[in-house]
Amino acid sequence: MKKELVAIISCAAMMSSVLAGCGVSTDTGTGGGTSATAESSSTAETDNAADASTQTASSGEVEEIQWMFWDDLDASSDLITQGYKQVIDRFNEQYKGQYHCTAITTNLEEYDTKLNALIAAGTAPDVWICNPGPNLTQYVEAGAAADLTDILKNQNADWYNSFNQSMFERLTYDDKIMAVPTNFAAALCFYNTEIFEKAGIANPPETYDELIEDCKKIKAAGYDPISCSAGTAWCLSMVAGYLCDREGGPDNLAGTADGSVQWTDKTFIDAGTKLKELSQYFQDTAAGDSNDQATALFYNGQAGILIQGSWVIAQINGNNPDFEDKCGVFRFPGITGGADPNRMIVKTDNLVMSATTKHQDAAIALMKCFTDDAAEKYTAEVGGKIPVTNVEFDASKAPKQLGYVQDILKTTTGTFGFYNESLASVEAGDTFDNNMVDIYLGNKTPEQAFTAINDYYKDNVWNK
Amino acid sequence: MNKILSNKKAIAVFVLPTVILFTLILFVPVIQMIGYSFTDYNALSKPSFCGLKNYRTMMKDDVLLTALKNSIFFLLFSAVTQQIIGILLAVLLTNIKKGRNTFKNIIYLPCVLSSAALGLLWAFMFNPRMGINQFLAVFGIKGPLWLMDTKGFIILPMWVIAFVALWQYVGQNMMLYMAQITGISQDLYEAAYVDGASRGQAFRYITLPLIKPMLVITLSLNCIGSLKFFDLVYNMTQGGPNNRTQVLATWLYFQGFQYFKYGYSSAIAVLLLIMCLAVTFLIKKGIHVETYEA
Repeated sequence: MKKELVAIISCAAMMSSVLAGCGVSTDTGTGGGTSATAESSSTAETDNAADASTQTASSGEVEEIQWMFWDDLDASSDLITQGYKQVIDRFNEQYKGQYHCTAITTNLEEYDTKLNALIAAGTAPDVWICNPGPNLTQYVEAGAAADLTDILKNQNADWYNSFNQSMFERLTYDDKIMAVPTNFAAALCFYNTEIFEKAGIANPPETYDELIEDCKKIKAAGYDPISCSAGTAWCLSMVAGYLCDREGGPDNLAGTADGSVQWTDKTFIDAGTKLKELSQYFQDTAAGDSNDQATALFYNGQAGILIQGSWVIAQINGNNPDFEDKCGVFRFPGITGGADPNRMIVKTDNLVMSATTKHQDAAIALMKCFTDDAAEKYTAEVGGKIPVTNVEFDASKAPKQLGYVQDILKTTTGTFGFYNESLASVEAGDTFDNNMVDIYLGNKTPEQAFTAINDYYKDNVWNK
Repeated sequence: MNKILSNKKAIAVFVLPTVILFTLILFVPVIQMIGYSFTDYNALSKPSFCGLKNYRTMMKDDVLLTALKNSIFFLLFSAVTQQIIGILLAVLLTNIKKGRNTFKNIIYLPCVLSSAALGLLWAFMFNPRMGINQFLAVFGIKGPLWLMDTKGFIILPMWVIAFVALWQYVGQNMMLYMAQITGISQDLYEAAYVDGASRGQAFRYITLPLIKPMLVITLSLNCIGSLKFFDLVYNMTQGGPNNRTQVLATWLYFQGFQYFKYGYSSAIAVLLLIMCLAVTFLIKKGIHVETYEA
């Protein structure tokens, strides 16, 4: 009997210790007085955050919040990322003893899946960075993103009024503001003025035909004409998006959304054909190169043109400051007989506050830090991106490329989002990206690729 | 000891923790998964019953068919190569006197390393701008796009990943077979050699029959492991280009965590579960094991 009792007690002890090890709290912070545990696969910083939350819970003094971002704050040479690190440091210093923010960082490719896993597990970070379009839409529709309308318009009117109001356009759902922008970027063609000079090109191309001619000259001069990544599908998809818009204009995106325009329309097929033609002038390794590798090829002086968002200014200047003087910018060329050539792909980086955060005041204070004058000045003067507030910055301190971007924006007649971020869902965007990669790789003809997208829309969007 | 084993209450007490743990972390989630497979569920709002919709979607999902093809390829490739090479390495190492432990450790080392780290390492190795292609370029050879080429029924990236998986996991088979071979009495071999058997005949008629029980175990582990295969694919290609290297495990992961389609993701998981059970059943039934006194 005694032995059985000992056995039972031993088993109970074993069970409790094992089950305690399996325990997962769903609290993202400290409010409930329980420890916050993050996804096991998250970075070491997540563990630190969980530890910090535990300490807070017991002391009840400092509110711990988490902010999630798609780049490594310590390792990255990207100047915008470094600016974000400064914001976090400044926030922690400014609110010392009251709030503390820990950054959860992942690489860009894994960001969405890790964030989604955290949200699904009920351990969403208090604030996270988010792309506009279907990414944000899925968080809004799922109720994961907090409605910021009242916070912005009524509780913090001064803060709200400091923004350029048009920045909220893609962040508003049924008159509800669901995110706060931190900076603004436009997709353009960056070019190496030295290579253009050596190739005998006097002015950047204004039409697609001129672009092809210039590519031939650059190739003849011994350089890769265009540096592009098909390994990172959205880079190639951005070029495809521009071609689709230059062929068919705004009707293409609006029409495919409501089903009045088919993906198999001539403008799309022509865009696909031009994508295939243009891709002949990509570097040989474009199929396997990552976005960072393609960008490095450009700022290391091996390629003539890089088609990228203006966030790349921070990456270029952060990695090779000497390149700033020889980096020019031109608008993606128009297509003769096509649509308006002055439209531009733009996007904002945005902060979303979790609908379940128990630290709303701390989260709002953090978002204010991200968009205050110091942060926005840094965005322009160091990072080379366009501020989202009406802050005045010293243009002479800003990277030269920013000036070129702003000049082009002055003559821009309309804007649109990245194609993959303007479609019906994240999956629809991926379908577009993947089929553009297939055109590039020669696995599908433009007709086959756009038919595949059309079929996807028939099954999942139009007839749903 | 015998006294305890005859006591049913004691047995129940000792078995109970495992039963509870098994139920909580395996049986309950499997039942939940089957339930979710009949729902539209995004993990953020309540699941809604949708009948067989997810299973009907599977029938029309081209990527799922690709994933199924790739998973079956992994299964066959692993089953054949890991078994043959595992047995050969085990036989070789049990027959060498010098350096056995060194070689054993070298071959087994990848097994204990993180698959995520190895996946990234090999992704760098097969990147066109570094690693193998740069080495080939020294000799004037233009290497292929190891992880992006899409020609053929089984595309090159799948072969590449399969070879990396073979390199990583063959050590496990080798160790298991070595343990089995070491347990075979030397008397049997000596008797065979006295009777005039060659080394090949000894291998064919003594070693192989006596390691057959281990064959069932390693084959089951290989097949189930390769059906569930995830980490190397995810880290080396993320299922690309254009989902051509998706396997069942990565596709269900993308459907769940990328697109918030946990209902459909669960339906794919059910398919995977059925395949694992079927393969295990077939191996059990298909390979007849006789017990010899070694």
